Amino acid sequence: MLIDDEDLFHLVFEDACSILDITLSLEALNSSDEADKLFKSWFPDDPNHERPECVFVDLNIIGSSFNGIEMIDKINNEYGNGCVIGIISSSDDYQEIEKAKKAGAQFWIIKSDDIEPRLEEFRNDYDGYVNKTNPFKIYK
Amino acid sequence: MVEVTEHTRNVLLEVAKKRKIYVEGSFLKILKAPKGDKEFEDYLALCKEKDIAVRKKRLEVTKKVQSQNKDLVAKQEENDSLMKDLQIALEEAKLSEQEAEKARAEAEKLRDDAVEDLELMQKKTQFELISTIVKVALYVIIGVGILTTVMYGLALFSGTDTQIIGSTWSNMFGILLTNAFSIVGTIMGVKYATEKD
Repeated sequence: MLIDDEDLFHLVFEDACSILDITLSLEALNSSDEADKLFKSWFPDDPNHERPECVFVDLNIIGSSFNGIEMIDKINNEYGNGCVIGIISSSDDYQEIEKAKKAGAQFWIIKSDDIEPRLEEFRNDYDGYVNKTNPFKIYK
Repeated sequence: MVEVTEHTRNVLLEVAKKRKIYVEGSFLKILKAPKGDKEFEDYLALCKEKDIAVRKKRLEVTKKVQSQNKDLVAKQEENDSLMKDLQIALEEAKLSEQEAEKARAEAEKLRDDAVEDLELMQKKTQFELISTIVKVALYVIIGVGILTTVMYGLALFSGTDTQIIGSTWSNMFGILLTNAFSIVGTIMGVKYATEKD
């Protein structure tokens, strides 16, 4: 799942993931409110509902009630986690990265025109995130 | 993974051969060729190759559009900033214009005051000059009157002929009085005209 307010990035991300064979299907949402609704509907009424394996959240989601870090915090602490989750943002602000870590983000991917190498590196580390054995990592 | 049936496999291969239509997208990733079916394996590999090529092309275009969008947004921000600066400059210019207008009005007022002062000074000077002239003229008149009167008196006391000095004194006195009145009249006129201005 990708939560990002930029529609064009949805296309870029989907194609990049598909080319790198990272995803089978991608659900792209424009706002954290939409994602919140989905997670809320799955939990606690249907805690065994199939969740996205991995959630990529933009840091600043324009038009949303809360930002990416708050979204991660909600998913981790209110909706029972159950997925690999991290930030994908053009920002590399140290303080924000620290906040994301505290909220339970497992990775931070820096958005740029050339995102494929970072996604490829992420794909190679992915199993470690699933097993929760990988430490927090920033993909620059 | 989904293993296709023989019928599906044949249909897919035929469609690819005759119409050049290939399976694409996420569905392609879950298709599996029957064991040992080299032809269908090659077909799936070709589909993947085509799918990746299409996606790469689309990714390239999307990135280009995204970059252009970013440029547009940056330019728009730049324009907005310039417009803001322009607005500030216009407001400053307006303020300067108002200040200049105020300064001009003050300068004009100062000039008018200066002109008024100058005129007053000129009038004062003129009046002082006239006053001096009048004083001098009056002294001359009084002096000449006294001198002629003394000379006439001496002539009377000494018993000398007073015919000439008498008529001279009388004429002189007449002329002096006439001139004195004329001067007084002129002074009054000048004073009146000055006060009227």
